[in-house]
Amino acid sequence: MSAPDENNKSSHTQLASHFFSELLDSVIMDVASESHRIARLGLDRNLDDEEEELRLSAQARARLADPSNSEANSKYVVDIFGQTHPPVASEIFDCMNCGRSIVAGRFAPHLEKCMGKGRKARVKATRSSTAAAQNR
Amino acid sequence: MKLQNLTLTTTMSSNSDHNNRSFVSNEPQQHQSTAVIVPPPCSHLVEFKAGRGATAFGKLLECIRVRPLGRASVPREPNEVFRCSACRQASQRVYACVSCAAVVCDTHAPDHEHNIAIDVDRAELFCCSCGDQVYDRDFDSAIVLSQTAAATLGGCNSLCAPPPENLRKRRRVDYRPWTPDSRERALLGTNSSLLPGNDEDLSSNFPVGLKGLNNLGNTCFMNSVLQALLHTPPLRNYFLSDRHNRFVCQQKNGVHQNKNERKNKNPQRLCLACDTDALFSAVFSGDRKPYSPAKFLYSWWQHAGNLASYEQQDAHEFFISMLDGIHEKVDKDEHKLHSQDYLEPGGSSRMNRGMWHKNPQLPIGSGDCCIAHRVFSGILRSDVMCTACGFTSTTYDPCVDISLDLVPNHEGSAKTSTKTHHSCNGNAESVSPGQNSGTSTLMGCLDRFTRPERLGSDQKFFCQQCQVRQESLKQMSIRKLPLVSCFHIKRFEHSSTRKMSRKVDRYLQFPFSLDMSPYLSSSILRSRFGNRIFGFDGGDGNEPDESTSEFELFAVVTHTGKLDAGHYATYLRLSNQWYKCDDAWVTQVNENIVRAAQGYMMFYVQKMLYYKATEKQSG
Repeated sequence: MSAPDENNKSSHTQLASHFFSELLDSVIMDVASESHRIARLGLDRNLDDEEEELRLSAQARARLADPSNSEANSKYVVDIFGQTHPPVASEIFDCMNCGRSIVAGRFAPHLEKCMGKGRKARVKATRSSTAAAQNR
Repeated sequence: MKLQNLTLTTTMSSNSDHNNRSFVSNEPQQHQSTAVIVPPPCSHLVEFKAGRGATAFGKLLECIRVRPLGRASVPREPNEVFRCSACRQASQRVYACVSCAAVVCDTHAPDHEHNIAIDVDRAELFCCSCGDQVYDRDFDSAIVLSQTAAATLGGCNSLCAPPPENLRKRRRVDYRPWTPDSRERALLGTNSSLLPGNDEDLSSNFPVGLKGLNNLGNTCFMNSVLQALLHTPPLRNYFLSDRHNRFVCQQKNGVHQNKNERKNKNPQRLCLACDTDALFSAVFSGDRKPYSPAKFLYSWWQHAGNLASYEQQDAHEFFISMLDGIHEKVDKDEHKLHSQDYLEPGGSSRMNRGMWHKNPQLPIGSGDCCIAHRVFSGILRSDVMCTACGFTSTTYDPCVDISLDLVPNHEGSAKTSTKTHHSCNGNAESVSPGQNSGTSTLMGCLDRFTRPERLGSDQKFFCQQCQVRQESLKQMSIRKLPLVSCFHIKRFEHSSTRKMSRKVDRYLQFPFSLDMSPYLSSSILRSRFGNRIFGFDGGDGNEPDESTSEFELFAVVTHTGKLDAGHYATYLRLSNQWYKCDDAWVTQVNENIVRAAQGYMMFYVQKMLYYKATEKQSG
């Protein structure tokens, strides 16, 4: 291949081209044969439905990206029942562990200490590495 | 037109349960299905077979060899070159006449005196007159049998191994409509009370069961999953049908309600299913004020001690934990199945013992153990194939959801090198439409989940046939679909050192309607064997019905924000309208918002549910 002879080079190139073409033809034929079988046996997926879903999703994203669209990121004024809710849930009920009256929005931190669970409430530092990984 | 199930005549064992399907579809299926359509043969093929019957291809089939994991072909000697008898060209595409064994190229095929030939390298029938590839059931069956013989050990066909007992389909019964008779109507009248609310009330315009959940302090991870479960149709129906009555359950456990007790350490009280029952009662009461799931949180923390802390948790972890909590309450009187390892002599399919939780009589995922598993549990099939000899080892594992990696469809990411685009015999990868744009899609994730994956050279499996460790391919598929499919997108990447945790914000497209049939074991197996006309059933005597593969989206749990400072919300579809449940706030949204949302967990329910005959003997 490194011979400076022009004829040799050109016939080598031709041969290489020829081999490549044959390999390419073979690969194309493989795909064609497989696809033909899939199509004739009715195994091709419902690509139309899939494309439609993709189109709808792309459309949805485009609509929301539009700055004139107020649908996205609108703050809640009222819910569908006409109610409003404070940032911290204000309902009050009794803790089922200790019996005290607790505000709903602060129930979890209370319960954590009340039940003796969680990082701050623990007396012993027995946190395993798995527990640390789970609690993000 | 449905394909006759050929497997009954071949290697399928006779000990398969003979609960034949009573449901037979006489209507043409609207959607694509896993069933193969046998194309009508051309006149030349008909003529060819007419004289010869089933043994038409007999001699030809003897010449065909199957490479391990490769395709069937007519092998050549190392130095042998097939040349066309007419033009003496040695082209890549040659056909051998089935009648006279002459070799022709595609150009001269029409001139050949006989009609039916075979594509030498691909073992495909070709009609020289029509100039087209043609298909024949008998030919295909024979090819598949050679292929599967190569993949098994001494005749025992692990690819068609009888399934575990619980996988066999129970006979389906037809739906019978029911209306209460006068006695039942009277019973209903005296034992129930109307829900509050009148016609002018805003709330009556909206479905019952739509109700906000108060955030108790970083508990949106719990609220979001609860909202999805509250509206999971089979689960909702179960609890609203009083199938787990918390009063009856507590009474059975000898518990007394004592409000004066300050500290309640009675372990018998803990029943997450009872708390779930209470939750359903409250949420479907018709009252629209937000509900505080405080008791539920309390019970859950008792069950999942290691997750109990006032910190943002992972919604998916909570989901798994909650299902596990409901499962724990197994009625020991009802356990059915024998403890059984499905090991055949020389075979290799087994139920993963590690998954048999607490009660070894009842493997998780049998669906008979509890409502949580009956609704969510499916069965995954895992095939490990030796690349040297093709021997395949199959295992079945239950799963309550599918966790998917999130990568772009065009595989641009620097993922581990063990994953390659290896194409097994005939496993033509259909290009999904989204591939070019690089948008990640749920179906793309499922494609890669069920793709054959080459295991690294450091993970060689011991091949029973070769008797040495060999490099192998692994492929997952779904043997049994659950009633409700939950897909969990792995957006949170953790490492043991916290600093490496990160969130993947990339958008994932998910369809509102999902056809799971390409991911079933039957489809995957068929594809592995070149999509031949053969009754691939993925492991039992019954081919799954097409209609059971169609799913509909009904809930999406989304996560917005950063890894440690984020927020979960849930979109619900009720009566064809989408709602957003953001802790206490329930609002109505356009479906575009849902399509564009960042999905973390997607819940799909089977479009069509069937009744199954009970196993109990009844009149």
